[in-house]
Amino acid sequence: MIDVSDLTKSFPVSRQQRRELGPGFSGNAVQAVAGVTFACRPGRVFALLGPNGAGKTTVLRMIAAMLRPDRGRISIAGVDALADPVAARRRLGFLTGSTRLYERLTAEENVRYAADLCGVPEPDYRRRRDALFAALGIDAYAGRRAGQLSTGMKQKVAIARTVIHDPEVVVFDEATSGLDIIAARAIIQLVKDCRAQGKTVLFSTHIMSEVTMLADDLAVVHRGRVLAAGPLPELLAGGRSIEDEFVRLVDAADAARPGGAA
Amino acid sequence: MSSPALVVFKKELRDTLRDRRTLMAMIVVPLLLFPVLMIGMARFSQSRAAEVQGKVLHVAVADADGRSGLAAFLSQEPGFDVAETRDMLALPEQVRSEALDAAVIVPAGYAQALAARRPATVQLVHKTSDDFDIKRRRVEDALGEFEQRLLDERLAALGLDPAVTDPIALETTDVASSREVLGKLLGGLLPYMFILFCFTGAMYPAIDLAAGEKERGTLETLLSSPASRLQIVLGKFAVVTLTGITSAVLAAVGMYVSVRQGIEGVPPAVLAAIEQVLAPSTIALMFALLLPLSVFFAAALLMLSLYARSYKEAISVISPLMIVVIVPAMLALAPGVRLSAVTALIPILNVSLATREIIAGTAAPPHLVLVFVSLAALAALGVVACARWFSREDIVFRT
Repeated sequence: MIDVSDLTKSFPVSRQQRRELGPGFSGNAVQAVAGVTFACRPGRVFALLGPNGAGKTTVLRMIAAMLRPDRGRISIAGVDALADPVAARRRLGFLTGSTRLYERLTAEENVRYAADLCGVPEPDYRRRRDALFAALGIDAYAGRRAGQLSTGMKQKVAIARTVIHDPEVVVFDEATSGLDIIAARAIIQLVKDCRAQGKTVLFSTHIMSEVTMLADDLAVVHRGRVLAAGPLPELLAGGRSIEDEFVRLVDAADAARPGGAA
Repeated sequence: MSSPALVVFKKELRDTLRDRRTLMAMIVVPLLLFPVLMIGMARFSQSRAAEVQGKVLHVAVADADGRSGLAAFLSQEPGFDVAETRDMLALPEQVRSEALDAAVIVPAGYAQALAARRPATVQLVHKTSDDFDIKRRRVEDALGEFEQRLLDERLAALGLDPAVTDPIALETTDVASSREVLGKLLGGLLPYMFILFCFTGAMYPAIDLAAGEKERGTLETLLSSPASRLQIVLGKFAVVTLTGITSAVLAAVGMYVSVRQGIEGVPPAVLAAIEQVLAPSTIALMFALLLPLSVFFAAALLMLSLYARSYKEAISVISPLMIVVIVPAMLALAPGVRLSAVTALIPILNVSLATREIIAGTAAPPHLVLVFVSLAALAALGVVACARWFSREDIVFRT
């Protein structure tokens, strides 16, 4: 279960960023996320859909207790992530599309490191490792250094590392981004498996087809705000496609901004 | 189950030991540098010196009046091939082109000056070379002997004892022990080398463990783990400190081994004194000071490395820092700079000065305590600052 309410986050702007933002920008900070509220339930897949720069990664990093919000509350499997970030992270697996492995460590050492950081007891590690390695076919190259593995192999090791501690909540941040079809399929299968196991799954994407394929619930994020959230069938009740609904919401939001549509 | 800090430490150590670049900077270079420098350079210098010393010098003597007897004198000196010439003007060019090793010019009026008991001018034309100027010194020594002979003749003609020219028989006694003398020589070099190795040994792991992790995209995974920022910092920190200290220890081992093996040409008395300097108690005392300094280096390096967006940027940010490390270490070599209550508080300089005093065996315990306490405080400050640095979102996610 993930519960977030009123998440708000600003970032200070560096001199270089201020130059890039142009003369129209004033102030010392940019608001990345404002008043974001949603809930993800166990056994369901919740998708955060939004264009690049919408604030999805910032939201997910706050949920993973990597960033501290300026305002709002986050609960991960019943744990207040702001009061006890370490306990919250113990219940969470986090995978991004840019996640890499430690190239000088073997596949097994990479997974073992994650398990040790999470404090997984040895018998549990053995059991989980055997099951995951067999399911993902990692046994054949478990002893090889990650630097010698193909992209697909690395992705499978990254998956095993993400769920080796059997987290109740799994967060995917554009996890298929930049991957080939085979590697992306492994991620999609992991999302389905996690849902089947009753885990809470939250994933961010800008790929519409992934949403229709995987999501039970959806929040459309644009310019740091949630434009609409709810079960996917309800959001598409009018018979519109996900693309049509997304464009409609974004256009309406831009039109409502001071100065009209962007 | 281990503490996350220990888990991070073990992983980072394993990862670091598999990095060839780090192994070179941490193990191979410090271990081999001293033996290669000391043995290699000593042998090279000796062979070059012996070569020049044993060489027959081709010297031309141009005697304007032809009555000085200098050519005949030099011809009898071993290792001289003397040619007489009248062409004085050509001599500088012949020496410059190395057709001659040196030339001696006896201008007109030499005999008259001698007869009048005035100084008679003799010109030596030579070319300063990179062979320790041995050629010039050999010719000057021979001319000195010739001058001594003339002086003896002059004194004899006056009926004076040659001892009359030495009114004072100066006898000097150096009360400094060979260890003190060596302390001044080695004391400048050793801390400089050890501090530098502490820094360079820690540099690559620090870059790899922060900027490298950021660039590779593994930092986010680590930050999303249940390890707290402090635990992550401590684990990484311990590895960086360890590599710096290891590098300095290996430099000491390399030096000790090369001294134990004996270096050809270095007098046994000096070798014995070096061995005395490298006694375990002296080394232990030196490393007691280097440990907190390494901790401080690790903190500074990790902070700069984390600030950088990439491995490349980290190198460009950190490399100039080496100057900041070298300058205070070299200041200790300046005359008159001594360990005092003030210099004991200046980082790096205090280690250099304290090490010099330790090696010379003249260290005052209160000063050493002050150095250690100030370094320990600096190290503690470094750890706290580094932990805070790792908690700053704008630094950790600076891309």
